Amino acid sequence: MSTIEVRTSVAGMVWKILRNPGEPVSVGDVLMIVDSMKMEIPVESEGTGTIRQILVKEEDVVAEGQTVAIIEG
Amino acid sequence: MSWRQEVDEIQLRRKWAEELGGAEAVRRHHEQNRLTVRERIGGLVDAGSFQEVGKLTGKGHYVDGKLTKVTSAPYVMGLATIQGRPVAVGGEDFTIRGGTSWGGDRRKGGQGGFIEDLADQYLIPLVNLIDGSGGSVASAKHRGHTIFPGVHGFERSVSLLARVPVVSAVMGTAAGGPAGRAILSHWSVMIKNSSQIFAAGPPVVERSLGQKVTKEELGGSQIAVDTAGTIDNVADSESECFSMIRRFLSYMPQNVWELPSVLNCNDPVDRREEALLSIVPRERRSPYNMRKLVELIVDQNSVFEIQSSFGRSVITALARINGKPVGIIANNPVVYGGAMNVAAARKQSHFIELCDCFHIPLIFFVDVPGFMVGTAAEASATLREGMRCVYVGLQATVPTITVVIRKCYGMAGMGTCGKNDVDFKIAWPSAEWGSLPVEGGVAAAFRKEIQNAPDPKQRQAELEEELRGFASPFLTAEAFAVEDIIDPRETRPYLSRFIDAAQVRLKTQVGPKFKAGVRP
Repeated sequence: MSTIEVRTSVAGMVWKILRNPGEPVSVGDVLMIVDSMKMEIPVESEGTGTIRQILVKEEDVVAEGQTVAIIEG
Repeated sequence: MSWRQEVDEIQLRRKWAEELGGAEAVRRHHEQNRLTVRERIGGLVDAGSFQEVGKLTGKGHYVDGKLTKVTSAPYVMGLATIQGRPVAVGGEDFTIRGGTSWGGDRRKGGQGGFIEDLADQYLIPLVNLIDGSGGSVASAKHRGHTIFPGVHGFERSVSLLARVPVVSAVMGTAAGGPAGRAILSHWSVMIKNSSQIFAAGPPVVERSLGQKVTKEELGGSQIAVDTAGTIDNVADSESECFSMIRRFLSYMPQNVWELPSVLNCNDPVDRREEALLSIVPRERRSPYNMRKLVELIVDQNSVFEIQSSFGRSVITALARINGKPVGIIANNPVVYGGAMNVAAARKQSHFIELCDCFHIPLIFFVDVPGFMVGTAAEASATLREGMRCVYVGLQATVPTITVVIRKCYGMAGMGTCGKNDVDFKIAWPSAEWGSLPVEGGVAAAFRKEIQNAPDPKQRQAELEEELRGFASPFLTAEAFAVEDIIDPRETRPYLSRFIDAAQVRLKTQVGPKFKAGVRP
């Protein structure tokens, strides 16, 4: 069992969390939307498996490269 | 009586030179998954085209006055062709003393070496295959004194940047002079998980700062390419590196007195891609794939992206339209809405100078909300670097066309216009522009009115909606403040007409543009 850290590629504010821990995901599935410079930037899963943890909540400010979710593959 | 004996000696010396540092040293080099410099040159240039110069240089070993062996100078260089065009090529031989400098009367490679002179005088591109750390402190023992830095300086390396394309490929570990020369190039590349570049290596870092780092942690591609933008591109292998070098050079002229080659174009210039009609979402906050947009417009398979992992809010790429090289600068809405930060500003500035120097027309695909904002942006001098980029753009004299895809705001937006040209701006129906976006501007301009309103959020939304009514690009087009609004599907045929027509002007602009060349 491997764990995959999903990182946001941009800084901004978490606008919408779309998926929950325990749900299955595939590569490319959108986990959340980050509002960055007034743009809705999707944060996509980098692995296939189950969401173990969502590390942020809506309206959290995130930094570029911050880990926002953990996937168990 | 003939000179047979001496000619036989030439052949013998050449054979020794082919052996590089010897079988054992070559084996160890291969074990590192690295090619020798002769293999690199062979893999890069047209087959059979390498004419070596200085093959007999090195240290001769004599017993009773009889030559027994020559240890070659650790640098191999000469004239070759790439895609039929002459180039000067050279690289350090790491199998001999790690490619460190050699004390002949004349330098072969390195700064101020023969190979730079060859490129300079013959006006042909220079390719540096860099694999070494330059000087060694051991040379002081050999000379009997320490050498002043810059005795063999970078003067020629710098002046070349105004005359011929210079490519540097970091093939191994580069520090010192070779690292410096890697930077003094128009385009550079390194090998993922194999090559590194730094000002000084781990032993010096540990001695100076107490930091213990590996070569990869200090100067591998994740640092040098992705984080710092010190080197432009990264290849997965040496073989891919050679392909990339050939590809880059295919967009360049031989020197600044010539124009880049035009290829036959099998891609119809009147191709109108239906996907362009809906690629930009109507919802202003939704991003889209700008790389795909560009690829739908330029000649198929013609995009060569530079610095893709650095300064990611802007995309810089060489491409072709109707076979003619163009320089693409396209904002990436996925990264900070395309806003210009320090990294993007540096990347864009260098790319503009590169294209301007070598007579490659610029096409901006604009979706920029302005400079990046916030405390981190201000602390990194975004304003200064951004204005430096605007300054560089205002100096470019190469034909420039601005295609406004969506946002074009502020000083970063100004930086996309060809002011030494006809200031030609064409827009898509999705385009919007101004000094600053309505969202930020309303809050500032109507602050008191919003604060005093019974429902401030609603009043702000009403004001934003009202001002957006003035933002239709058609109103600006009526005033001829933008030169045209086009059906997105027309972009390729429209651009190709003007790129074709611009070739006449390009011919009148050949020659050097900058005294000191493109800044690294």
